[in-house]
Amino acid sequence: MIDRTIVRLTMRQLLGQKRSLLMAAFALLPMLIVLLYVLENDDLGTQRWVAEIGLGEFVIGLVLPFAALIFGTAALGQEFEDGTAVYLLAKPIPRYRIIASKLLVAWGATAAIVAIATVPSAIIGLAGLPQDGILIGFLIGGVIGSFAYCAAFLWLSIATSRALIVGLVYVFIWENIVVGLFDGVKFLSISEYALGIAGIFITAPQRTFDPLLSPAAAIVFAVILTSVAVYLAIRALRRWEIGEST
Amino acid sequence: MTEPAAPAAVEVTSVSRWYGNIVAVNDISFSLRGGVTGLLGPNGAGKSTMLHMLAGFLRPSSGTVKVLGLPTWGNPDLYHEIGLVQKREAVYPFLSGLDFVLDAARLHHLPDPHAAALKAIRMVEMESAMDRATGGYSKGMKQRIKIAAALVHEPRILLLDEPFNGADPRQRLQLMDMLRAMAAEGKTIVFSSHILEEVERLADDVLVIVSGRLAASGDFREIRKLMTDRPHTFHVRASDNRKLAARLVADESVYGVELMGESLEVRTSEFAAFTHAVATVARQAEVSIFELRPTDESLESVFSYLVRR
Repeated sequence: MIDRTIVRLTMRQLLGQKRSLLMAAFALLPMLIVLLYVLENDDLGTQRWVAEIGLGEFVIGLVLPFAALIFGTAALGQEFEDGTAVYLLAKPIPRYRIIASKLLVAWGATAAIVAIATVPSAIIGLAGLPQDGILIGFLIGGVIGSFAYCAAFLWLSIATSRALIVGLVYVFIWENIVVGLFDGVKFLSISEYALGIAGIFITAPQRTFDPLLSPAAAIVFAVILTSVAVYLAIRALRRWEIGEST
Repeated sequence: MTEPAAPAAVEVTSVSRWYGNIVAVNDISFSLRGGVTGLLGPNGAGKSTMLHMLAGFLRPSSGTVKVLGLPTWGNPDLYHEIGLVQKREAVYPFLSGLDFVLDAARLHHLPDPHAAALKAIRMVEMESAMDRATGGYSKGMKQRIKIAAALVHEPRILLLDEPFNGADPRQRLQLMDMLRAMAAEGKTIVFSSHILEEVERLADDVLVIVSGRLAASGDFREIRKLMTDRPHTFHVRASDNRKLAARLVADESVYGVELMGESLEVRTSEFAAFTHAVATVARQAEVSIFELRPTDESLESVFSYLVRR
């Protein structure tokens, strides 16, 4: 299903860059915010704040989509940009294997960033408070959300040369503004899928954690969106044409 | 019962390719069966577009492009038989030359990728630099390591887009020898160039592409003759233009003379004969020549002539 050479090349390409280090540093931001909050507050509202703001808004709403956008669009998009994609595409490799290999690396990198953002924040923020499955819920929701985001952004990077801009519009305008204003479009928000899936594991009261989507709906929509994105990515790669400038 | 004839290595039939309103390749047909073929034409003529269609990286807007009897578009299995050297310098800068070629061998799932990589690197004489990162290579070195990666699986068809860019004269000759040896083994090599001399030195056959059209094709010597024997125009400035014009018009190599005030425009169909004759005629007429230069020697004008012909 995957090609080890492509996986290795992609890992070296993605992880050897400054932006990966910056991303890892960015992933520590929620932990710092949570730390500052708990130093000032130690009341019962802390659990709610950690779940809703620290993990919900900062990790799932910001770090996760941003990391997926960086890694998902760069996994193949960077090779289109610098001209090295031809070395992969001029080989007798089925296109689905290229997509699977690229997606695996982008997902792995994004999931690692999500873990860096989630685990210390939850440990620090919930120290001495009921855990209620918050850490494991956000971690698994984030990791599954990473896969859906990366599949979507990988497809975007093949379908358009402006994947980064389109991705930013989706994350910051669609997910953060439009979904907040119109409840009805929550089915088209990957971060809502991640939160819905986190709900499978979280036993905290509704006032602490109340996702827009039920776990079942989140799983179904995540599977549909990911499958469609992967299918479109494979199809787009099969039809990819070299640019005039290349 | 006779065996059916083997398909041509490359078969291009009525192929056009356009980008919106711009026609990059216009109704081109040709077929190749081994040897070295040069795609010659000025920059922007459509050579790269043609090569990319041959390599399966562009879909023809109309017509068919086949390699070994199979359509190249949407057929990645054909890359077992095709090697492509693209024009862009792009390499994975963090890989050593050896790793770059080795990864190409691995992506082809060759049985012994290491041996294949070393063989290809030796062919392009890059052994001494193969352990260095390709990011630090010169343009010529990048070009050679790209060629090594393209021929690591010993393809039957090798496509090269301006392969000698950046190579020094010695490297250029070495690469040409290598490509000629590959052609002698029965491989089909197609390369693009806008430099006449490169094509002249290497190619058995030439396809001249100008403004997306096939302006001429066939044996290089025939095409070279067409280029040399085409009408030329010379700009001449002499001590007595009128007197020189009267004498020149009587010469067989000249078919037109025009007085242009301070100079003459002389039209001839025989380049070499005229350049010999003009000195003799001037001496006999006791006229000094201050300036003598062809006005249309750019490659573009040569190509334009071939198109108009």
